[in-house]
Amino acid sequence: MLKNKKTSKMGIIITILILIIIVILSNIKIKDVTYVENELGLLVMPIQNGLTYLKNWISGNHTFFTNINNLQEENKELKKKNSELEQMLRELEIIKSENTTLKEYVNLKDKYTDYETKPAYVIQKDISNYGDTIIINIGSNDGIDVNMPVISDQGLVGHIISVTSTTAKVQTIVDTASTISCVITTSRDMMIARGTMEQDSMLKATFIPTQATILEGDKVETSGLGGIYPKGIHIGTIKKVVNTKNITDRYATIETAVDFAKLETVLVITN
Amino acid sequence: MKKAFTIIILISIFLLFYFLQANFFSWFTIAGVKPNIFIILVLFISLFAGLKIGIPFAIIIGLFLDLMVGKNIGTSAIMFAVIAFIGSYFDKNFSKESKLTMMLMVIGSTCVFEIGSYVLQIFQLSIYVEILPFLNILWKEVLYNTILTIILYPIMQKLGYKIEELFKQQAILTRYF
Repeated sequence: MLKNKKTSKMGIIITILILIIIVILSNIKIKDVTYVENELGLLVMPIQNGLTYLKNWISGNHTFFTNINNLQEENKELKKKNSELEQMLRELEIIKSENTTLKEYVNLKDKYTDYETKPAYVIQKDISNYGDTIIINIGSNDGIDVNMPVISDQGLVGHIISVTSTTAKVQTIVDTASTISCVITTSRDMMIARGTMEQDSMLKATFIPTQATILEGDKVETSGLGGIYPKGIHIGTIKKVVNTKNITDRYATIETAVDFAKLETVLVITN
Repeated sequence: MKKAFTIIILISIFLLFYFLQANFFSWFTIAGVKPNIFIILVLFISLFAGLKIGIPFAIIIGLFLDLMVGKNIGTSAIMFAVIAFIGSYFDKNFSKESKLTMMLMVIGSTCVFEIGSYVLQIFQLSIYVEILPFLNILWKEVLYNTILTIILYPIMQKLGYKIEELFKQQAILTRYF
């Protein structure tokens, strides 16, 4: 009876141990036991190679093993060539991006031939959530001064509000403190567009004349009033017209032509 | 010597925060809203280093930011100084041991800073008042700052007590005796 009890206890223990071993083995990934695979490979592979050689010799393909060395050398050369090609590809990508930037500059200059302009990169965007100023990489050393208008190939960006010798701070048209006098390109109706907090590339147009007819899709450009922005620079298109009970309070939203989230290159009008 | 070294470290942390805010957090946003990690920094300095270090530091940080990215000089400097005052008030009345208290302090400070800055800008720049869009951005910023406080809390506490030991030895004595 006692012996039976002992045997059953041992059985339970052995079963538990086997269970634990099975669980552990089932959870081991193959990559964790590559050393075991290697050792086993050392044992098995020479025999397997011999057998393969024999099989190939019989089938007339006995050059299999002599070719391995050639293949290894070829592989080395190909790897070297591959890294050289990768390096060339990287260089080409850099040249391609430079080319794109230069093309943008050329497009910009062609578009605004009446103005003397200086190209610049955007080096920093506003760090706060409540404003939209940007910093560009040219300053007073390049002839940049306060109140100079800034444009991009799509349209108006803003104006310079402060300058250092190598950088300039630009208040964009979508900044909450920005106000621009603008006109509808077709009807020449004037209004005031100001930046809002709601959306990044949206302006709110107010002070719309009561007799003016504004339609969605109308193009808006600068009026030339105010002393900062020259006349005729594209601002954006009317996205929505909101009519109120009192017609004098009606307003429109303008979608800016410039995508401020992706703005990288600008031109500063210096004359 | 140790104090000077600590101040250099604090300036380095500020510069690190500046580059983080200008580069990393400009794309790592919550629904397009960035955090304001300078508020956490100013609050942290005033809480642990005291008003004597906190106020000058807050004003210097504020002026630096106003000059670098602001539209007018003084707004951030004034509001960061207010945060430093609030920080020293919190230090006298609340425990810094609790993560929850720290989170509430950051929530309060972020609200005070942003509302104060907005009100000042309304008067200084005559900007158009947009209460709902402002509140919509504010709650996201508060949430982001709170999450960052939870992440930064262990480092803040560790570094903070070292700074406190250096700058306010007497304050520690009054707290425990």
